[in-house]
Amino acid sequence: MIELRGVTKRYGSAIAVDHLSFTVKPGHITGFLGPNGAGKTTTMRLILGLDNPTAGKVTVNGQSYRDKGAPMQEVGALIDPSAVHGSRSAYYHLLWQAQAGGLPRRRVDEVLDMVGLSAVAGKKVGGFSLGMHQRLGIASAMLGDPPVLLFDEPVNGLDPEGIQWIRSLLKRFADEGRTVFVSSHLMSEMEQTADHVLVIGRGRLIADVSMAEFTQRSAKSHVEVVSLRAHDLIPHLEAKGAQVMKSTEHELTVTGLDAPAIGAIAFEQGIPLDELSPRRASLEAAFMELTHDSVEFRASRTTTPDVAFVS
Amino acid sequence: MTMTTASPIPTRGIVAAKSPGFGTTLVSEWTKLRSVRSTWILTGLAVVLSIGFSAAIALVMGLTSEPIDTFSEADRVMSDPLTSSMPGLLFSLILLIVLGVTAVSSEYSSGMIRTTFIVNPHRIRVGAAKALIVGLLGVAIHAIAVPGMFLVSQAIYGAYGLETASVTDNQAARFLLVVALVVPLTYTLISLSIAYLLRGTAVAITAAFGFIFLTSNLGPLLPAWIQQHVFRYLPDIANNSLTGFTPPGDVTYLSPLPASIVVVTWIVGSLAAAAVVLSRRDV
Repeated sequence: MIELRGVTKRYGSAIAVDHLSFTVKPGHITGFLGPNGAGKTTTMRLILGLDNPTAGKVTVNGQSYRDKGAPMQEVGALIDPSAVHGSRSAYYHLLWQAQAGGLPRRRVDEVLDMVGLSAVAGKKVGGFSLGMHQRLGIASAMLGDPPVLLFDEPVNGLDPEGIQWIRSLLKRFADEGRTVFVSSHLMSEMEQTADHVLVIGRGRLIADVSMAEFTQRSAKSHVEVVSLRAHDLIPHLEAKGAQVMKSTEHELTVTGLDAPAIGAIAFEQGIPLDELSPRRASLEAAFMELTHDSVEFRASRTTTPDVAFVS
Repeated sequence: MTMTTASPIPTRGIVAAKSPGFGTTLVSEWTKLRSVRSTWILTGLAVVLSIGFSAAIALVMGLTSEPIDTFSEADRVMSDPLTSSMPGLLFSLILLIVLGVTAVSSEYSSGMIRTTFIVNPHRIRVGAAKALIVGLLGVAIHAIAVPGMFLVSQAIYGAYGLETASVTDNQAARFLLVVALVVPLTYTLISLSIAYLLRGTAVAITAAFGFIFLTSNLGPLLPAWIQQHVFRYLPDIANNSLTGFTPPGDVTYLSPLPASIVVVTWIVGSLAAAAVVLSRRDV
């Protein structure tokens, strides 16, 4: 379990993290989302004792990270996995870590096997691709087989097979009762992986909810209805409490009623429908809406693509 | 490359239950040092260049000098066979600075320092282990290079009929012991501390080179007042007193006990400063 209470981190006059309080519980995959510069990596560094908080307290399993006797056996972290010495082999890179953690040598072979890097164990890390760096970082996080896992952008640079592999790995870790804390920019991936969401913007916690609640809450789901007699349908829908917007003569955008309900009303009235498609709010849309005001670095209007609802 | 999506996560409880201690940290730091090629290149160069250069100079002296009997008194002092056999120190000392600095600064430049302190957040213990390992490697390098330079040079001197020194001379024994054991610790440990303080490779090498090496080599160019009141207490100049290289009449001379205290204070003090900064600073 990871706990933050009123954590603030200031670099000079800039506030990176502002009175952050949350708890990351075991048995779930908790996603940590935020725009660039929101403070995600800073938060992870504070949890791991790399930075000292300006104010507040952060503990892992009730203890400050720097007080731990055998942190590798409690917490596994993946932060910036390309931060490695290029002329050292993957094997030795993991070996010094295992030794530093008082772990047996065979753990190195075991984690290399787990991430599929056994074949290149003797190769210098400087020649690794981004995906290989990520996998090496996951290997080192797993050396101590820890109950708490912190992954900063773990799917960066992985191909679809690798992303799926990570997803199943994270799910299995959570099912085993481990605490899994994952930060990501990849909204679609986070949607499929995490079951709890923490959203941060400009150093402040914006949301701390379940994934289902998050996608439902922020962005509006709606139903696209197409019918030659759309005009006749409108008053019946509004009578049941829906808000109806007409996009064209025959196309409606309906909020407040789900697709089955609309279908039932149309059936009752004998109005044939050409299209009835629910547009579920995507995490991406929900996220963009929520963090709209918190984005630190935003591209100019001309280059920002429109956010699309996906079904 | 296939990934073993079906590979099982090892069951928990099979990893070591004990907490890592200073011994495991030492082993880990030694693995770090020995698993990069640059360490061995540095070590090899330090030994080979120092012995080779001393031998070359001895050869030049042999080829260009007259046999001992024709030397005047002043000339004999100038061509002291003990200290004349040490020009290779130019190479080994600079490489010891590079070793001491890069053992630390490479972690900062690559960013691996973060992994180091995530794996073991007890920073002072990690720094102390690294200092011990690097210091020992420095001593090992000089333990080979210094007797190597000495013996090879004396052999060449003898072959050309020049005056030779012997390890059994008191003066030679003291000099060789200090240069082989104390000087490498001074160079590697102060450089390592500077690297923890400054973190950048180029700036740390420059600072260490200037502070440790240049001061003792360019010191004699400065006014006597500065030499006597300031430079005398600098680490490598105190080394020179300790080895017996500096004659008692010299303005930078310190007797053995004060010289030892100065050297130890610099080594311990610089390590302590690095420890304080390391434990407080964000990584």
